[in-house]
Amino acid sequence: MSGRKKSLLKVIILGDSSVGKTSLMNQYVNKRFSNQYKATIGADFCTKEVVVNDRVVTMQIWDTAGQERFQSLGVAFYRGADCCVLVYDVTAPNSFKNLDSWRDEFLIQASPRDPEHFPFVVLGNKVDLDNRQVSTRRAQQWCQSKNDIPYYETSAKEGINVEMAFQVIAKNALELEAEAEVINDFPDQITLGSQNNRPGNPDNCQC
Amino acid sequence: MWIQPKELLLPSAFWIAEMHSRYFVLQKRRGHGESRGFGSMLVGTYDSVMNTKPAPYRILHQTPSSEVSYEIAIGITQDEIVRDWEWLQSNLFKVLDEMENEDEVTNFTICKIQSLYTQNNQDDTGESADFKVMTSQFRQIFKMPEEERLVNSYSATYVKNKIPRQGQLYISLNHVCYYSYMLGQEIKRIIRFAELEDISRNANTIYLKTTNNMTYNFTMLFNASEAHLLIEQLNKMAIQQLIHDPDSPVVDHDPSNFARLGNKTSKKPVLLRDLTARQKSEEFRIYFRLPQSEIIDGKIKANIWTPYSKRFNSGFIYLSPNFLCFRSDVKDLVSVVIPMKTIKSVEKKDDGQQRFENQIVIITSENVPFMFAHIVDRDVLISKITDLLARIHVPVSRERAKYDISWSKQTALMNTFKTQFSAEIVQKQEEKMLRWEAHFRDFGRGIGMFRTTDVINLIVEGIPDKLRQEIWLIFSGAIHDKEMNPGLYEDLVEKAACIKNCFSHDEIDRDLPRSLPEHPAFQSTDGIGALRRVLQAYALRNPQVGYCQAMNIVSSVFLLFCDEENAFWMLASLCENLLPDYYKDKVVGAQIDQGVLNELVETHLADLHGHLEQLGVIKMISISWFLTIFMSVISYESSLHILDCFFYEGAKIIFMISLQIIEWNREKLLQCQDDGEAMLVLQNYLEGIYNPEYQVPPATDKRKMERKIQTQTVQTLIHEAYTKFGEEITQQRIEELRNKHRRLTMRQFDIDNEKTIVKAYVQNPYFSRNELHKLLTIIREEKHALKSLQQQQQKAQCPLSEMPQLVPQSPSRAIHEAGASGDRHEAYSVNYEVFHTLFTELTPWRKCVSVDIGEKLFRLTDKRGTGSLDFGQLINALGLVCSTKSMEKLKLLFVLHLPPLLSKAEIERSRRPRPRTKDDAEEAFEAEDFFDNDASESMEALPSPSDHNFDADDFALISATQHLHNLAGISGNTFMDLSRTPNLSLNSNTSSLAQRSSTFYVDMPALQGTATSTDAGRDEDGPQRGLRQQGRYESIDTFSDISDLGAARMTPPGAGVGTGADVAAGAQAAAAADHMLLNVETISNFSQISDLVAATRQERADSTATDSRSLGSLGYLLDQPDEGASCSQHSIPHMRKENFQLLWRSIIEIMGLVQDEEMQRAYENLLELGNSNIKKEPSLESFTQLNLGGSGDEQPDSNGNPTTPAAEPIGTTRLFVALEEELRQASGNGRTTTTSSGNSSSSSTNTSESWHISISQFIATVLTVNSIVRGFQTPIQISEQIEQLQKKRRKCLSVNY
Repeated sequence: MSGRKKSLLKVIILGDSSVGKTSLMNQYVNKRFSNQYKATIGADFCTKEVVVNDRVVTMQIWDTAGQERFQSLGVAFYRGADCCVLVYDVTAPNSFKNLDSWRDEFLIQASPRDPEHFPFVVLGNKVDLDNRQVSTRRAQQWCQSKNDIPYYETSAKEGINVEMAFQVIAKNALELEAEAEVINDFPDQITLGSQNNRPGNPDNCQC
Repeated sequence: MWIQPKELLLPSAFWIAEMHSRYFVLQKRRGHGESRGFGSMLVGTYDSVMNTKPAPYRILHQTPSSEVSYEIAIGITQDEIVRDWEWLQSNLFKVLDEMENEDEVTNFTICKIQSLYTQNNQDDTGESADFKVMTSQFRQIFKMPEEERLVNSYSATYVKNKIPRQGQLYISLNHVCYYSYMLGQEIKRIIRFAELEDISRNANTIYLKTTNNMTYNFTMLFNASEAHLLIEQLNKMAIQQLIHDPDSPVVDHDPSNFARLGNKTSKKPVLLRDLTARQKSEEFRIYFRLPQSEIIDGKIKANIWTPYSKRFNSGFIYLSPNFLCFRSDVKDLVSVVIPMKTIKSVEKKDDGQQRFENQIVIITSENVPFMFAHIVDRDVLISKITDLLARIHVPVSRERAKYDISWSKQTALMNTFKTQFSAEIVQKQEEKMLRWEAHFRDFGRGIGMFRTTDVINLIVEGIPDKLRQEIWLIFSGAIHDKEMNPGLYEDLVEKAACIKNCFSHDEIDRDLPRSLPEHPAFQSTDGIGALRRVLQAYALRNPQVGYCQAMNIVSSVFLLFCDEENAFWMLASLCENLLPDYYKDKVVGAQIDQGVLNELVETHLADLHGHLEQLGVIKMISISWFLTIFMSVISYESSLHILDCFFYEGAKIIFMISLQIIEWNREKLLQCQDDGEAMLVLQNYLEGIYNPEYQVPPATDKRKMERKIQTQTVQTLIHEAYTKFGEEITQQRIEELRNKHRRLTMRQFDIDNEKTIVKAYVQNPYFSRNELHKLLTIIREEKHALKSLQQQQQKAQCPLSEMPQLVPQSPSRAIHEAGASGDRHEAYSVNYEVFHTLFTELTPWRKCVSVDIGEKLFRLTDKRGTGSLDFGQLINALGLVCSTKSMEKLKLLFVLHLPPLLSKAEIERSRRPRPRTKDDAEEAFEAEDFFDNDASESMEALPSPSDHNFDADDFALISATQHLHNLAGISGNTFMDLSRTPNLSLNSNTSSLAQRSSTFYVDMPALQGTATSTDAGRDEDGPQRGLRQQGRYESIDTFSDISDLGAARMTPPGAGVGTGADVAAGAQAAAAADHMLLNVETISNFSQISDLVAATRQERADSTATDSRSLGSLGYLLDQPDEGASCSQHSIPHMRKENFQLLWRSIIEIMGLVQDEEMQRAYENLLELGNSNIKKEPSLESFTQLNLGGSGDEQPDSNGNPTTPAAEPIGTTRLFVALEEELRQASGNGRTTTTSSGNSSSSSTNTSESWHISISQFIATVLTVNSIVRGFQTPIQISEQIEQLQKKRRKCLSVNY
């Protein structure tokens, strides 16, 4: 079983236009901030090796376009995602409000196996700015209401919390995998010796 | 219809004579409209097989001694032919009788008919009589409305179950139809263009496949290719219409486009010619990059003299209103575009030499001569040019409104932000300049230059910076748009600057610094400001596109080399011509081209295709490549060269480069295991592309250092792309592939949408996943069908409507604000017509005829009064009706028969013509008159389910209208109030409170509707009557609680009359009074219903309120089908006798018109129960009270403008204004009537009116009847019903709306 374990994590970053998705990705991957990014069209892509739970995994980070008319194209990128990062701008209340629709849209298009427990992480970005408009409490409440999504406040510019947030992202994504395996393994153990291997469960145990 | 007289030798075969005279005979085609006799069957088959299709009636002229007879008139209907016959009778018979010689008779007749024929056809559409017959037959056979225009028809064989059937293929604007009639067997097929998924042709057979997997093949001996092209074209137009503007007509036929060169009269139908011309125009426009408004006028064979090669080249001259163009026969050898307005003179020239006969010389304003020779029809050409020159109008800058905005046009940013090039690069640029100048000397400069392969060779090497603006403008065609719209840009900029709080402006502002940040120009306010103006102006020009990310990136590059107005026009030509639909919603154009690229990869890089498909790479890369023309993936210095080629070649270059990039990375891509790896391969490759001829601006030097090694020059990339793919990928091929993928992409959108919606509703209690899919499909189909017909009707109403022009309109921002998921569901919401069709076609309750249950159900379900139901509401409504839940179904049926859903008007109508009390009628006469008109007008204008069947003469119409207003969420009440109550609230707040109370009325039971409103001994009787006449709820009942308020109300009408105060002033007051309303309601604790009604109103005002309570809350059944049993929580009003009787009738009808003994008994029991209820409950429960007063504080204000922005469509606002106006005029009458009727009303209470039953009584009784329970428990397989409906539509078994 352990041979099937992916050493690759696919992470999708979603959120409104100009909340700082590209900057977050670049801050995390290249430890750099620039105010010279072009608006992302389609999607951008980066990889990074991370160590999670003493395992080295490659994290594939997909940075998507934020404008609404690109939303329907997401399906090409969402496929096989292990974790979804929802980003909003703490100075732009609308970008916070839209988290709902981003989350729903992701669940619809990506159709993860277990939508209820799919790992999301919410990042409130741009905390370095003064004109904050969305309070931490409000964001936390929202996250709690959605099955306790982990919430972090970050600044891609200052590099605040970015590293940590992505660590959690990686960890949660890996946990999802582990859980999925448990779910897969469990029925195998109780159906020992029986012939009726369920069709929906192709990974049968080899013991 | 008179026709050109035709000689006939066999006058009677297949025809039956219907009327005779000495010289004329009126005949009818055998088999027309008759029973299926053997003879008529044969004739039918003959007509069908031989493709004769004569009109069913005709008139022949014959003389007794002659063998020959003449067909002189044909008719499609008997009336028509009889009219002609009568004309003959009155005008010719006598004259002819006086003639002696038969030849003379014949000559005279023919002469007369000919003149009639020409006379009638003078102002006509120019269609031949045969075609008219064909058209009418088409409409008859397929039950198409007048507006559906036939384009052409072809004789074709349709093979079904291996049996070939000979028949006729009809192609109309929206449908392909097929009809055959062989030996008594009729076959009809209707296929909508918008539902075609695949079109192909093999030799003489056309294969069609529809989106619901039906396949058809039609074989034709002749014209197969014409028919195929026509189908392709119409399909393309249908799909494009879906993308562009679903509300525009498919084709706008403008007869003035038919002034053609050569004056050849074609036998082809007008519309076919129009479509062909359209097709040609499009090719012409694309080739020469002309504005969209150019329509080709004609082409003529000619040779052009090219001074650089000193020879004549053969080709065609193309003429359009503003351009004279030439294109050589040899591909890309030479082409020329000469704007008409630059033509100074056109001269004939004959130098006597045989070789160069028929020459003309055109001299442009720049004194450039163009010499053409061997012109086939020189004189026609010259006169045509003269003609066009005379008609040309040079656009002048319009006077425009002045705005208080100061700005100045930014010139090309590269002049301000100069890049320091190395000496080497500067020298290279200068060399290039020299070569371009040399080129200009030989080939000319400006629009009128000779365009040859030489120029493309120069372009591929990169245009020098100084020339980019000029060359880009010419080859993109942007220059034409610019010249035709002087001043438009400035206008747009200033208008846009005045728009505040605009969603797309926010989006633009966010992206300004993220466009070309590496260039110093866009780190300064000059560059940013210019970019903002360009993008805002474009968003205003084309609201359908608005602003799409990626437009900022391309525009910023334009701005580097062009001044901002030019940059704007290049952006416009990019969005509208070069990359059609790319920046629209869902970037649909780019998605279509993604499909095209995928197919090109499949053809040209077959070994890679499977692998890439598996990784899903093409979908990931293409969007950014296409939308930014590589500018977001390759450094902009390098992408400039691609852009140079792009303006010359169009989208073709994008495909070539894309293929080349993939090709170059073939090996690496084949080794990739997942999509990420493939992306990295391509990313690395693209980052390595550099441009040695263009120095990177200093600011980005740092970035450059960080980049991967420079691996390949952009020049090589372009060069290789041309070598490998330049020949195979042509504009024409791309267009063909686009047609195909446009279909597929739109289809895919539908499939995706459906999947998502099904996912969202899969938990519903009624339908399975599969059934939901089917429902969605049928909804889509029905909506399309309805829409295409409605559009045509609209078009027919305003024939002058133009093609959607990209003129600035009020941009609708709502689209942006509605979430993507909102749009998705929007596509499957149904309006009343569609709902009603689905209801009658799919549910078992269609059997119910005396009450229009579908309409009731719609109104009940449409709680918000939006005039449409979303998919969730629809499945709840249809689902319950089709389900096995007998109790809920009975409850629903009960509710549907309650007022206001079942209005008195309907009860009356279904009973008997209403006798009206005489004196009552007289008193009410004026008011009624007024309101009748009023009401009927508003009915039509309402977006709500239109109730065509209300009796206009009926009092209750008014109340019904009111209901509708309310149900439709249009609160006309305020205006109704105006005539009644305005003055009071002027006086004081207290009186306005009193006045408000008058908005509570009692619903009058039906029977009473006939009699005077009799509020037994009540002092508010007068006002109540007034209300009634003014279209309020009628009331009869006595209700003690209301009398308190009623007493207070006593004053208002009197005061109103007394003061005669100004209604207009009152109007304002009425609005103020609305605020009081809720207070009044809180104190007035009437019945549960009044609460319910208040809730409705509140809900309507605040659309976010929960649905659970409302008038429509009767529809709780639909919301919580599983909790339906707990009806104690929801108060369902009791039912009156009349309603009950109808309800019972409906049940019987649903049961199939049988009533067994048990049912009869139950009915009697219920009647008895109702009677006993009278004694039990004297007042409180015995009436239904409905408050339809002003609806809270979010009512439309006195000007009829809704204060709730979201609530009403604009149309209704206008309606209100009109309504209000009328009310004002008539208010005098209204008031007088109010008082007088108040005084004279009788006062007796009819106790029998309190007959009622409650829902629990009804349910309890009915559930004891086995047959009813059984009947209501029978499940309905909705998918079978849907399939049947689809079949019906396909085979034209039922009328299309």
